[in-house]
Parts: sequence; structure tokens; C-alpha cells
Amino acid sequence: MPMVTRPQFLPGLPNWSRKTFFALALTFICFAFAFPVLWLILTSLRPESGVYYVHRGTEFTLGNFKEVLSQERIVEAFINSAVISTLATIFSLLVTVSSGYMLSRFTGPASRMWFGTIYIFRCVPYISWVLPLYFVVQSWGIYDTYVGLLLPHIAVHICFFSWLMKGFFDGIDPSMEYAAMIDGCSRWGAFIRVAIPSALPAISALAVLCWLFTWNEFLFALILTGNRVPVITVVMAQFVTEMGLHWNLMAATAVMALLPAFLIALFGQKYVIQGLRI
Amino acid sequence: MFGEQQRFVLLLIAPAALLMLLFQVVPIVIGANASFRDWALYNPKKTWVGLDHYHAVISDPAFLYVVLPNTFIFMVVSVAGALVTGLALALLLNRPFPGQKLVQTILLVPLMVAPVVAAIMIRWIFNDQFGIANVVLEAIGLEGQPWLVQRWSAFCIILLTDIWLWTPWFTLLLLSGLQSLPKEPFEAAAIDGTSTWRVFRYLTLPMLRPVIVVCVVIRAIDAFRTFDIVWTLTGGGPGRSTELFSLYAYVLAFLNLDLGRGSAAAIIGGLIILVLGVAMYRLVDRIAKA
Repeated sequence: MPMVTRPQFLPGLPNWSRKTFFALALTFICFAFAFPVLWLILTSLRPESGVYYVHRGTEFTLGNFKEVLSQERIVEAFINSAVISTLATIFSLLVTVSSGYMLSRFTGPASRMWFGTIYIFRCVPYISWVLPLYFVVQSWGIYDTYVGLLLPHIAVHICFFSWLMKGFFDGIDPSMEYAAMIDGCSRWGAFIRVAIPSALPAISALAVLCWLFTWNEFLFALILTGNRVPVITVVMAQFVTEMGLHWNLMAATAVMALLPAFLIALFGQKYVIQGLRI
Repeated sequence: MFGEQQRFVLLLIAPAALLMLLFQVVPIVIGANASFRDWALYNPKKTWVGLDHYHAVISDPAFLYVVLPNTFIFMVVSVAGALVTGLALALLLNRPFPGQKLVQTILLVPLMVAPVVAAIMIRWIFNDQFGIANVVLEAIGLEGQPWLVQRWSAFCIILLTDIWLWTPWFTLLLLSGLQSLPKEPFEAAAIDGTSTWRVFRYLTLPMLRPVIVVCVVIRAIDAFRTFDIVWTLTGGGPGRSTELFSLYAYVLAFLNLDLGRGSAAAIIGGLIILVLGVAMYRLVDRIAKA
């Protein structure tokens, strides 16, 4: 096999200057990408008196976090968001894994029709069904409750996740399932004991994405909840209008809202990249 | 009534289908019904008005000359911007260099940031009195700008925020795509001494095309219905100059409390994106088969 050299980046320059340029460019890109988050964190650590001149002064404090955590509504919003995201993830996976499996393993009119339905509903803008969803949820008496926010969240994930799940199952050889069925497994047994375990990396990736999407979701929560079930995104958006001047407290809340997402993503990054590679 | 296999198939999709029926189909039907009626709070009879709301929306100059162009400009620029930066970063991350893992983690950060949080950060950075953007501008002798109260600067900031938020999504999917490409054509090109640009233009790009097209289609549909960052950044202002279609429908229904007209606007937008979506699906199908 012949030796292959990669085409050089900026050919013609001496090696060290090319390397320096590359390193500088990388640092700049990373800085530009992380800057908004860094700035937010810095703001959240400044005392009230120093917040308007974040770039000046050296006083730092954790008081903002303490003050935010002493507000009952915000703590409640965090708990609500966490509970709803977790429940929505579990139920979404239950529903979409089986629907994706069906799309992948069966062909025929039923499967084609279901795929068409999913694609069309994926295209429908949220706003077109969230507006009337408000009436539906209200007439069923579940407006501003956990259930009333949870069920639409599960419904909204069906289309995209079934689509992704189909792709994952397409990448898994079905012959193991056939073998299990010949050995006396029922179809359900083959699905639950053979197909699901081999799709586990993909399912974990989906779980991470689902949790993040629900945690970050705004429009549904804005329309479908009132005062009884505050969730964190809505509470933060209200901050902007009601407490426009307390930037330090807002930054502290935002940093805390970022934290679980960071942890989940850090822990789940491996699964997401593996899972999406199929 | 059904064979064993049909029962299995139906049971697999039954929960998903039931949820979609209750929380998507039923609301859409109710919305369609509302769009033909005078569904305002002061009119309990909900009189049938036919296509009046549709006519009102389509002949509303704000919708025709501000909201629709905004939505399309937003969709095109946001998708194109995130695609170009995402592709560039994916190419960068695809070559080994020290610290590659760290850089990759940093570049994926915006993926975890809620759009609402991102909008709050950007609002603070571009605050006209205390934002760091103006501080930097003044430090180098330029005049600070009231960024979010001028139409085009506000629109550019919305676009930049959206591109920042969605670039990692493209990077992630394109990087997976790049890493699954076969190695041989690239080795052959290297032996022939092909320039970097030509390798990109005639090898990487055509081979990556299916992945790019799928990303663009999914993202374009989502960009069309963007709501949260615009709502939190400018609320559609100054005036109504940065309103996108989702905000237009929301304002009609929940601030003007005219649910009939709001639903009509939402359905018009839905139809536009449905036509676009089906057309794009055809395109993907053709490219995937070619």
C-alpha cells in the first residue's frame, strides 16, 4: 500500500506558522461558540451592584443563586420541569420504539400509510395545533395540570422519534428475531427480548434527546399551563418582562436551567454520537 | 377478525396512533372549525363566517409584506448559515489534531442550551445600555447601537442566535456522515495530488449530499415554525417588524383574543409548509435513489 499524505492545510507556509495559525483559529472558534454561555455564568456570579459593569470589578458572589433558590415559584418550576421531562421521556420511548419497530420490520399498505401520516404531521407547525389544543385540554379539565402538559409532549415526539427509531432498527439485522421465533418465541417475545436489547444504544441516544427537548420546550408550556404548574422556560421568559432589571438573578436562573442539560449531555454525548451514527 | 400478524402490527402503533388522534388530529379539526367562525370572546354564538378570516389574513398587509417575507428570509438564511458553519466545523473535526475531543465538546454546547435561555443571554449581551457588545464597540471608538429596537439589526441578531443554536446539530449529523464515507476515493485523490478544494468540491460534497439534504429538509421545516427565540428576543418588535408566522398567529389568538382569525393564520401557514414539506420529501427521495 502506498504512503498517503493528507492534503495540507494552507500549503506553502512553514510548518510552525501553519500550526500556530490553526491553533489560534481553533481557540477563536471555541471562544466564539462558548462566549454567550461564559458571559451568562460570569453575570450570574456578580453582585447586584456590579451586574451592569460585568467587564469591570472583581467582586464575585454566590448570593444570586441563594436568592433564586429562596423563591418558591422558581424551585417549584425546576421540580415540575424535571418531573415532566423524565415522565415524558419514559412514555415517549414506550410509544415510539414500538411504532418505529413496526415501520422498520413491516412493509405494506399499513406501514406506508403510517409513515405518510407521521411525515405529514411532522410538517404541521406547532402553532396550528397548539392554539386549539388549548380548548381541548381545557374542555377535558386537564388545563394547567401535569397530565395536560405531559400528554401533548409525548404526542409531539411521536413523529420525529418514530422516524429516527425506524432508521435505527433498519440498521439491525432482523435474522436474530427470526431465529428466536423459530425457537418458539412469540412476536412480542422477539421484539422485547431480542430487538430492544440490540437497539439499546440508539434508545439511550433517543432518551437523552427527548429529555433535553422536553426540558427546553417553551411554546407548549406557555400555552398549556397557567399558575399551578410553572415550568422553568416559561418562568424565565416571564422574568424578562417582569424583572427586566435584575439581570444577575435572571442569569443565575438561566445557569441553573443549563446545568441538568449539561450533565445529561455530558453523560449522554457518547450515546448520542454512537446512536446517530447508524 | 385479524390474523396474528395484523394484530401485532396494530398493537405496535396503537398507543402512538391514539395519542396522535387525541392531541394532534382533534385539535387540528377544532382549529379548522374555529377558523370558519367568529370565535371571539364577546361572541358566544360563534357565528359561521365562512372564508372571511382567511380573506382577512391574506389581505392583511402586515402578513403579506412583513410576516411572510420575514418567515422565508429567516428560513433560508438560518438554514443556509447553520449548514455552512456546521459543515465547516464537521470538516475541521474530521481531521485529527491534539485536543480534538475537547473542541468537539465545546462546539456542541449550544445544542444543550434552551432557546429561551439563549435568547436571554443574547438580549443581555446586546442590551443597549449595559451590554458587552456596546462596551466593546465604544472601547474601539465606535458608537453603541440600540440593537434590538432597530428592525434590521434586531433581525440579524435573531438570525445569528438561531444559527448559533442550530450549527451543532448540523455538525453532529454531518460529522457522523463524514466518518462513514469510504476511505478509498480520498486516498486515490491524495496519490494524484489533488488540491484540498477539489477534493472537497468533487468528492466530499457529492458523497455527503444525501445526509445534507435530509438535514436541510428537517431543519427547514423547523425553522419555518420558530417561535421561542423571537418571542423572547424581540417579541416581534420593534413594532411588528420582526414577526414570524408563528408569532403572528399567536398574537392574533392570545393577545387580540381572536381565535378564529388566529386559527385561520395558523392553517394558512400549515398549508404553506405542508406543500413545501411534500415537495422537499420528493426531492430527498429522488436524490437518495439517484
